[in-house]
This record gives sequence, C-alpha cells and structure tokens, in this order.
Amino acid sequence: MLVVENLIKQYGDLMAVDNISFEASQGTVFGLLGPNGAGKSTAINCISGLLKATSGRIRVAGFDVQKEGKKARKSLGVVPQELALYEDLPAIDNLRFWGKAYGMRGAELQSRVQDVLAHIGLGDRAGDLPKTFSGGMKRRLNFGCGIVHRPAVMLLDEPTVGVDPQSRERLFEMVEAERNNGTCVLYTTHYMEEAERLCDSVAIIDHGKLISQGTVAELRAQLGARDVLQLSGEFPQASTELAVKNLVESGLSDLEMISQEETSITLTLTSGSQHLPAIFSTLSDAGGKVSETNLRSPNLETLFLLLTGKELRE
Amino acid sequence: MDFTLSSMKKDLLRWMQDPTGILLWIVLPLMIGGMTALLFGGGGGVKPHGVLLIADQDDSLISGLVAGAFSQGELGELISVEKVSVDAGTERINNGEASGFLIIPSGFGAAFFESTPVTLTLRTNPAQTILPGIITDVTEILLDAGFYAEQLFGPEIRAVRTADKKGAVDEVLVSSVAVAVQQKIDSAATRIFPPALDVVIVEPPPTEPAVPLGFLFLPGVILMGMMFAANGLAGDYWTERELGALRRIVFAPSRLMPFLVGKALAAGLVIATIGGLTLFVGFLYLGIAWHKLPASLLWVAVSGIALFAWFGALQMSSSSRRAGNLVTSMLLFPLLMIGGSFFPLASLPNWMAAFGRRTPNGFIADQLSSQITTAGAWSIGAQNWLIVLAVAASGLLVCAWRLQSGFARS
Repeated sequence: MLVVENLIKQYGDLMAVDNISFEASQGTVFGLLGPNGAGKSTAINCISGLLKATSGRIRVAGFDVQKEGKKARKSLGVVPQELALYEDLPAIDNLRFWGKAYGMRGAELQSRVQDVLAHIGLGDRAGDLPKTFSGGMKRRLNFGCGIVHRPAVMLLDEPTVGVDPQSRERLFEMVEAERNNGTCVLYTTHYMEEAERLCDSVAIIDHGKLISQGTVAELRAQLGARDVLQLSGEFPQASTELAVKNLVESGLSDLEMISQEETSITLTLTSGSQHLPAIFSTLSDAGGKVSETNLRSPNLETLFLLLTGKELRE
Repeated sequence: MDFTLSSMKKDLLRWMQDPTGILLWIVLPLMIGGMTALLFGGGGGVKPHGVLLIADQDDSLISGLVAGAFSQGELGELISVEKVSVDAGTERINNGEASGFLIIPSGFGAAFFESTPVTLTLRTNPAQTILPGIITDVTEILLDAGFYAEQLFGPEIRAVRTADKKGAVDEVLVSSVAVAVQQKIDSAATRIFPPALDVVIVEPPPTEPAVPLGFLFLPGVILMGMMFAANGLAGDYWTERELGALRRIVFAPSRLMPFLVGKALAAGLVIATIGGLTLFVGFLYLGIAWHKLPASLLWVAVSGIALFAWFGALQMSSSSRRAGNLVTSMLLFPLLMIGGSFFPLASLPNWMAAFGRRTPNGFIADQLSSQITTAGAWSIGAQNWLIVLAVAASGLLVCAWRLQSGFARS
C-alpha cells in the first residue's frame, strides 16, 4: 500500500533523509519513530509530495508519487503536525471544503461529513467556529479533515503533540478505527508508548538514517530480556572501564556498557535489579560515585537508547 | 468548477466573520468623496439663489421700477425680492437671512424727477460673496441708467408729470412729448450710430462640454476603496499560511488553480460590493444615467480581481507578512496619489496625468471615467477588457507559482 525505496532528501551538505526504505500494508499502522530533527517530517513531506525527494522511489496505493502525483495524492490523507484548519470557518464547512478539495461532492460528501463529525465527536459542535474549540477538539477536527475523503493511505505527523490525555486517547481510537477500516496508516511520533500501543510495525530513524525496523515484537526481541541501567555521578574513565570488565569476568557475562561519560554511564544486562549491589560495590572500588540510578525494563525506548546511546526525547 | 465555488464560498464566509474591515473599505471612500464634494461645492451644478429685502418707503412709480428690475429675466432666477419694513429687514439681514437689504427712502421718486441728491441704503450679507456683489452692481447700474434717462429726457418727463398733477394730459401733450423725444434720439443718433467703437465678438473654439467636478473625482474615490480592499484581502494569504491551510491545499491533487480562482472571485465580489455602493451613491448624487451602471460595476469587479491578484503576488513574494505589508503600502499610496485618487487626473499637469494613466489604478480609473462620462452604456473598449483580464490571469499564475515554489510549504 505504501512503499518507500532508497529515499534520499538532501539540503546542500545536510542529509535530512539518508537512504531509507520501508513498506506498510493495508489495514496496518506503521510507526516512524525518532527524536525531534531525526528526519521523520521530511520523509512524510516527501511521501505527500510537498517536498521533492533528491532520489528514491515512493509508491502510494500503487501510484508513483513523482510520475503519477495526482493519483497518488488523491489516495493520501495527511494530518500535518501543525493544525491545518480554517479557524474562522465552521467545523462542518471545514470538512466540506476539504472533502471538495479531494473531488467529493453532493450527497456522498454530505453523508461522509456527517459520519466524520460523529466519528471525531464534534456532531454537536458542527456549526461552531474552531477558534472557540479546545486544543483537543481542534486536533480531532484536524484529523477529520485528513480522512474526510476516505484515503487509502494516511500520514499522521506527530498528531498528539500538545494534546491532553483524554483527547490523545480519542485520537488513538480514531487511528485504530481507520486501521480497522483497511486504511494504511503511517504514524510518526517520538513517544514510544504511542508506537507500542498503536503500531503493527515500526522503523526507528535517527539523523536521517533508518537504524532498525520490524514489528514491535521483533524489535523487543533485539533487546532480549535485558534491562537498561543508567547511573549518574562521577565515573573516572579508565578505572570505570576496568571495573565493568571485572564485572563481566566475575560472572555478569551479558553486561554491556552502551555509553560512558564522566558524569554518567549506561549499562545493559539481564535481571538488573539482582545485580545492583555488586555493580555499585565494584564501581565504588574503582573510585566512582553513584548519585542517581535509573533501571528500566526492556521497551522500544530502551531499544532506542541501546541503538543510539541517547534518549529518544533529547 | 465545484471546488472554485467552494473556495469562493469559504473565503466569503470567513471574511464575513470580520465585517469591520469591509465596512471601513466602504466608508472610507464615501467619506473622502463626501468631503471632496463639500470642499468643491458639489458636482450637481446647482445655481446659487439669494434673497433681496427691499424696504420701499417711497412707494412711487420709480421706486417700484427699481424693485421690479431685480425680478426680471435671468436676474430673477438668482434673486428673490421680498418687500419688508425697515425693522424687519434690519433684523433679517443682521441674522444673515438674506443676501442684501435695500432701503429706498421716501421722496426717492420726486428727487429723481427733480434731479436732487438722494441716498439709497444697501446693506449686504458679509457671510456671502457672489450674490451680494451682484445686487450691489445691479443697483448701481439701475441708478446710473435712471440718472442718464433723467438727463436726456428731463424736460419731457417733467412736462408729463406737471400735466398729470393738474389732470391735463391730452393728446397734444403726448404727441409733442413723443416728437421731442424722437428728435433727441435722432440728434443723438448721429453721434451714437454707427458707434465709434465697434466690438467684434470672437467666439471661442468649440470645446467639449465641461465635465462636472464630481464626475472627475468619482472614479478616483472608487479606486481608493478598491485598492485598500484588494491590498487588505491579499494579506489573507498570510493568514491561510499561518493557519496551515495552504500546506494542506498543496497536498490535495491539482486543486491549486481552482483554489486561487475561487479566492480571486470572492475578492472580486467584495471589491465590487464596495465599489458598487460608491458607484450607486455617485450615480445618484451626480445624476448619471443608470444604464451605465452594469458595465461600470463589471469593470470594477474585473479590475478588482486584477488588483487583488497582483497584491497577492507581491505579498507572497515577500519574506514575511510585515515585509509584504510594507512593500504593498509603499506602492499603494504613491499609486493612489499619481493615479487620480486624491487629485483627479484631469487636474494634474499633462505629463503627470499621462504618467498616472499608465499606472494600474490610473488606467482603471481613466476607463471608468470614460464609462460614466460618455454616452454609451458600454464605453470601455474590448481591448481594455482584455488587458485587465490578462493582468488578472498573469497575477494568479504568479500566485500559483509562489504557492508551489515554497510559500505554502514554509
């Protein structure tokens, strides 16, 4: 349904999207995960036709975005990161306008607009101006404007940014409903819990490069059962490296140091909580001082940390 | 077409949410037009009319002739004569209720016949300029004419008057007076006819009938409203960009031109409404034939679209809303100045008027001026319609290019 092959987008020397490829099927939600500035929005803009890719190939519902742009865009529904609404036009007229922009008309449009209004929970506010809406309501209407023409492929670019928990939950339900209706959804976010909740498949992107890809289960399997232990304090470089080596040799064979700085280190290991006393003792003997400890069980966020050595929200 | 209408409807609905701006664009030219009309005495060509109060204390034949002279011929169209008492006349002239107050004293007729000195008192209204001057001049001419008539025919007049007092006017007297008068005219005729001085009246070359001032101002005032409206509405591209709607439009398949055309039609409708109201008031005030209105209105609408398209192109070519407003404002006011909105093109020096007619608004105003001052219902040539349509189309193409080339994406 959505095929991206060797997509490159370059601005001068800056490689915003660096040779990424992925594929999303009908009736699934594909998550594109990465921190701010990773290249997610650039990739979305290339897929939607807003930006011209430097190279690579994109097919939407079987249509090449470059060669059959009109057909490809007709099959696309875009929910941009920023709100894209007429705040001084009643909600129902917003939906009508965007429906007509995609070629809908007459009874089909009227019926669809009513369905979407009910779907996004704004049936009783149809005649009101969006500028009188709460942030969450505006987000829902923004979503509605993207689906009013029944797209085969939806692009959702960080749709929950700045949304209250209640509206976020409502948005999740709407995304799931679209998936259940057979729509292919490309969902970008930097919230791993959203990806774990919604996505069938996930691609992790950083600095424009795709660093890992698979189903959520497959990605978790990359981590195994290992926890991530983050320690803050003072860690002299040479003695800390030696201490970690001693720990591995003394029985913690799967212990691995992901990152090391003078004020923090990140380790990964199995059953981390059981080995905390031994780790603290060895580091202390090596001249280290631990002031803060953070032990996390395996999830996509820790996988990102494992892969990139940094937090997703940095 | 369906999406074009949808785009037009969308903008009309949005703009109606803020009627203040549209009201200002309507009120501003009407206010300036009204002030201009007041300053220049209006364009309707209404003749001035004044009242001359006369207190006739003599009540004689001669005083009656003086009073009656002001009511004769064209003078009567300018001046109404009212006979009043001295007190009433004094009070009314003091209150500024008349152009002049003439007191004809008792004994005026007798003094006339006896060639003795007599004084007539004329008080004029200092608040008025033209009519009191006319009254003063006419009064002096009347008295001069009376003096010369008395000098020429004094003996005959006195003979008739004496006989009349005695009741002895008979055919002999009348015929002798008539003969004497004829002899005096005949003897004077040798000196009067042919006149020593001959006046040859040179007719001025035929010219076009003068166009009333209001006709000259009306197109410029309409263009002022149109320019303000077109500039203000073109700023809406920035609003739509800030709302994110332009990005979404670019996502949509091949909907850019219908979107822009719909927006331009909405702008044309608003500008036509603004210009149309001013036109209506102008037609009503200046008494312009109504059959010229449809073409005038259509010209305003089509030209309004052209102005909107190019103001939009300028806005979208700027780096920010503030820069866009600065650029268009820097163009707007000089164009209004040179294009006949503050001073009619006809009142400008020839070189400046020629330049003004080549500005966009000057061209539009000039054609509108032709439309309302010439006889036909459709006076604007097909070539000029095509020029405006081409300008509108090219402006919209520039807008489309800017939307595609980055304005919508930023």
